[in-house]
Amino acid sequence: MTELIKTPRAGETLPVTAGKRTNPLANVFDELVRFAQSRSLFMLHYCTGCGAIELPPAMTSRFDMERLGIQPMVSPRQADILLVTGYVSVKTLKRVILTYEQMGSPKYVIGICSCTVNGGMYWQSYATAKKLNDYMPVDIYIAGCMPRPEAVIAGLRELMENIRQGKADSWKDYYRHYDHYLGHQQRLFGETWQTPTDVISEARHYGLFGPDTLGTHTALLEQHQKPLEALEMKVDIPELTARR
Amino acid sequence: MIELILMPLAAFVIGLAMVLMMRRIGARLQRRVGPPLLQPLWDIIKLHGKETQTSHGLIHEFGIVMAIGGFVAAVTLMPLPGMNGLAEQGGLIALVYMMMIPSLGLALGVGQCANPNGSIGISRALTAMLAYDIPMVIVIFGVAFFYGSTSLVQIIDAQQAGGFATWGIAEMPLLALAGLFAMQAMLGKQPFEIYVAPAEIATGPMVEMGGKFLGGLFIMQCFQLYAAGALYTLLFLGGGENWLTFLIKVFAVVAIPMSIAFLFPRYRTEDVVRLVWKWPAMIGLLGIAFLMY
Ligand code: SF4
Repeated sequence: MTELIKTPRAGETLPVTAGKRTNPLANVFDELVRFAQSRSLFMLHYCTGCGAIELPPAMTSRFDMERLGIQPMVSPRQADILLVTGYVSVKTLKRVILTYEQMGSPKYVIGICSCTVNGGMYWQSYATAKKLNDYMPVDIYIAGCMPRPEAVIAGLRELMENIRQGKADSWKDYYRHYDHYLGHQQRLFGETWQTPTDVISEARHYGLFGPDTLGTHTALLEQHQKPLEALEMKVDIPELTARR
Repeated sequence: MIELILMPLAAFVIGLAMVLMMRRIGARLQRRVGPPLLQPLWDIIKLHGKETQTSHGLIHEFGIVMAIGGFVAAVTLMPLPGMNGLAEQGGLIALVYMMMIPSLGLALGVGQCANPNGSIGISRALTAMLAYDIPMVIVIFGVAFFYGSTSLVQIIDAQQAGGFATWGIAEMPLLALAGLFAMQAMLGKQPFEIYVAPAEIATGPMVEMGGKFLGGLFIMQCFQLYAAGALYTLLFLGGGENWLTFLIKVFAVVAIPMSIAFLFPRYRTEDVVRLVWKWPAMIGLLGIAFLMY
């Protein structure tokens, strides 16, 4: 349980709780947990591009994703897979990254459509991010313009198989090579780019802090990064304050 | 003593099966196959096995414990075939109190997350509680009045004395109808799904819950389905003579709101209050009037 002292108050910086898995039996159940993880995937379908239209048929009666234990969820906190379905414009990519950082690990990213692989037919566009893999670690790409629901299901099955075998751990890359990913993000969004999530502290928390976590780009981030603060709770209605 | 451990355990296992049944019913109504047999269990194991457990502080965690604990306590007050637990000591009034604790616990926990969607969700959940508690209490009062006792054990004995003719549903059909109505609202199933509303407020109270918190809520859902089904069975269907009849009754009771749920869209919050205060409450009062004269 969280200690009372660590509860954030307004004006304080948010603490990052250190510590690893405390349950001594954790390793014994690893196999079971991995199997459960592969059999129960909550997906957050971030419908960025045209490929999103293939998800409804994959979910509904014809192809019925729920048979594989995959169901849609609406909040990044609850989700395991982030589906990026199609081209991501620079503006959207910011939100995709914010969403990705909110998700709880282990988390997986699936890039659907050719546009996430290499820009697809938007190769020469000034506003489209071409390779999703540059900005966040992608577990599975499902190529096609657009891929049919069968292909989506086949891709998901492959991801399930990888999870069961313990091979789908590219989310760890994000922490180990944060400098690399942040560099690409800064190239698109400018040097002052900052997300509310403190990825570096999180990397330490998971024990994933490596030689590539920090670098020139994180140094740039630290120069201007404002410490994360809990929001102050206040009512700001002029009529009310005037009456007081 | 051993019963106090076995009863929640039985409730959890039956609840898991009920969650599966609920999802299967939904799938069948949408002409799908639905999730595999152990899906609810895999979901819970996976959520507790997550590496990131984003906590928003002590009250956040305490709220979840309260939500599950309330139902665990409520379940020990409901006699099973061959197990009475605390039913002799507690009685109906204590049971009604226990069934309210989870909503309050959730309100506490979600409140600390400070997510606007969560706050809206929980305010709607408490409004819904305000709505369904009125007919619920009317129904429970009516049953207690009819049998002249608030002890569930005595109520069940009286119902089992003469077979179907002395079941609550045969003696007080109006109250049974009102109870069914209130149960639909209590389970938060469509059209009373105001506080989950995924497309509207991003699952409301659950929006900030990930990992073990969502896992806790999944466990709570198992208990909730079981508690609603068992309560209705105990009040109106003569409880369980043996495990077979008990399980058949409990599952049948829960299947009714589930099947109705997928046919309806969602009402607005104020419509829920208006509807629930009007129809089930009125039917319940009418039922009591019939009992009294
Ligand atoms: S690959 Fe084709 S279908 Fe997919 S997002 Fe790009 S243009 Fe659209």
